[in-house]
Amino acid sequence: MKKSRFMWLSMAFLLFFAVCAGNLSQTATAQAGEGKTYQIATDITFAPFEFQDIDGNYVGIDMELMQAIAKNQNFKYEIKPLGFNAAVQALQSNQVDGMIAGMSITAERKKAFDFSSPYFDSGIVMAVKKDNTDTKSYEDLRGKNVAVKIGTQGYEFADSIKDKYGFTITPFEDSAQVYDDVKTGNSAACFDDYPVLAYGIQQNNGLRLATTKKEVGSSYGFAVNKGKNPELLEKFNAGLANLKANGEYDSIVSKYLGNPDGSAPAATQTLGRWELIQKSLPSLFEGLLKTMMYTIISLFFAFIMGLIFGFMKVSHSKIARGIATVYVDIFRGIPLLVLGLFIYLGIPGMFGFTMPLPVAATLALSLNAGAYVTEIIRGGIQSIDRGQMEAARSLGLPYRTAMVKVIIPQAIKVMIPSFINQLVITLKDTSIMSAIGLVELTQSGKIVIARTLASDIWLVVALMYLIVITILTKVADAVERRTRRG
Amino acid sequence: MGKIQVNNLKKSYGSNEVLKDINMQVGEGEVVCVIGPSGSGKSTLLRCVNKLEEITAGQIIVDDYDISDNKTDINKVRENIGMVFQHFNLFPHMSVLKNITFAPTELKKQSPAEARNLGLKLLERVGLADKADAFPASLSGGQKQRVAIARALAMNPDVMLFDEPTSALDPEMVGEVLGVMKDLASEGMTMMIVTHEMGFAREVADRVVFMDGGYIVEEGEPEQVFGSPKHERTISFLEKVL
Repeated sequence: MKKSRFMWLSMAFLLFFAVCAGNLSQTATAQAGEGKTYQIATDITFAPFEFQDIDGNYVGIDMELMQAIAKNQNFKYEIKPLGFNAAVQALQSNQVDGMIAGMSITAERKKAFDFSSPYFDSGIVMAVKKDNTDTKSYEDLRGKNVAVKIGTQGYEFADSIKDKYGFTITPFEDSAQVYDDVKTGNSAACFDDYPVLAYGIQQNNGLRLATTKKEVGSSYGFAVNKGKNPELLEKFNAGLANLKANGEYDSIVSKYLGNPDGSAPAATQTLGRWELIQKSLPSLFEGLLKTMMYTIISLFFAFIMGLIFGFMKVSHSKIARGIATVYVDIFRGIPLLVLGLFIYLGIPGMFGFTMPLPVAATLALSLNAGAYVTEIIRGGIQSIDRGQMEAARSLGLPYRTAMVKVIIPQAIKVMIPSFINQLVITLKDTSIMSAIGLVELTQSGKIVIARTLASDIWLVVALMYLIVITILTKVADAVERRTRRG
Repeated sequence: MGKIQVNNLKKSYGSNEVLKDINMQVGEGEVVCVIGPSGSGKSTLLRCVNKLEEITAGQIIVDDYDISDNKTDINKVRENIGMVFQHFNLFPHMSVLKNITFAPTELKKQSPAEARNLGLKLLERVGLADKADAFPASLSGGQKQRVAIARALAMNPDVMLFDEPTSALDPEMVGEVLGVMKDLASEGMTMMIVTHEMGFAREVADRVVFMDGGYIVEEGEPEQVFGSPKHERTISFLEKVL
């Protein structure tokens, strides 16, 4: 009887999640039609097309174009800065309606997406460290390393010539990391889109253009998933044509890239290091709050799952033990990052529904931590001498009462140090979810660094984790000491 | 019919049969001591009586309840069977008094106030009235076992089972526990005691049961079993322990 109750509980729990996911996808569909707010995915940072200004607002050519076109064509949209790869996958699995991220129109991408008319012409150029005068041509790259951004034309181009010129490639998730790698000397050069590099150099990213020749000239386009949202594509094209006609397009582009004659763009704010950190703190604190929120919510669900499966693991029913063992084995056996990608992109892609990122990330964190909490609870309960249960049962107490009033109060004391450990692990693990685009402390750090190109922000981020975890550990230690005494 | 009636009891762990066709009974108010070498199955037999061990075959009837029948509410029957363990098994997170009052209040046999009064009375009976608010960790082994006896008595059972109650005690503490048990016997409690204390068995038991190899080899009045044992294995066992 007890075992079946556990199974019911676990089933109810799964149902709860299913209903949650169902509800959320329902609200998404309900918004379709008149006055729909389009979800537009973009890169976290691809200056000058999309990046956050010092106050945390998304700006750039793509952002201003989108804004002007939406105004011109009278539709509503919401920007989702997911990172380029996550955005591509989100568009493929219909998590978003459109994508604008300085994306080159390629034959291969055309198989998966429908593109707008080109809105910007670009090409690949090579940049090196500002004081590097040795690297003048591709020939000088022999035996060296080259930094590129994953999934970009720069990557493809570098890849296509790497054998000819004998260099190796290190791929990075975003441009800031690419530039840093060149600046620190790990890589001799980088390949990136001309406007990106030009803008970065204007912003004093420490690099200079090594070549002026634009390779693989390409055009950027706005994309929707193949066959989806044709009306959005039409509106984009119509709006773009209008902006080009009325001169608004030119003024947006020259705002970021300077005038066609090559003169520098309007002077941008340059801040001192300390000022920069101070300016970044609000968005970092916001990220920290989110990290803590995701930690708490995930651990809450992990705890529920741990209770259900932990008790199944110590039950007398072979079936219950088997189910719990399978659960633990699966979710301990899958790396959290893979689990996150699978839940956020894999499952929705397979079954054709959308799952909001925070839900997917929380689910992944909960399932992962739940497996560990299950083991903590099992271990705690099994560490209590069998005689305790026997003594309670011999007095006529039912299993449940004996468990709740005799075994668990003792087991909790055993479990507390492990729970504290899990709390710290889960808090740190939330940073892994930044890889699928979840905005928490690490992602906030990435965003700040992407717009300021100030890598020392990582020190601030690291310190924030350290301080919070130290405080939590101290508080938990105090709690542990008190329960031990009691 | 006896308070405890064991008919053709068999108990196996996998292929290892530890009890082989046990038949015995304990009458109302009777004190039965079960003796025998370790591994003879005497503790297993005792633990079968309140179903801490599942019965493989046979029948055990306690207080007219067939506990080998799965339809019997074992919790109800256990309320009438107190059990004292070799390793006390006191609840370490509860005070001495709470250890005693826990079951009666939890099972709504008594109000908290009643249970408290009874608990204090029981503590007085085992000579530990001053330890009501202490925690088990601060007690000696002998004191712990006396509290355990008081805890078992709190449910007002008809039958008491003792599983080697003095085996884990330092020698100087054995007496205080046996003393409490002797009092209990003289008050007419039905008791089944697995013990290595031969002197105690001889003095207090109404009947002694000698087990070996999963069988009851010999049983009878203490004078008979200890004075003129019939069976060869009983003789060799008693030669070693006496």
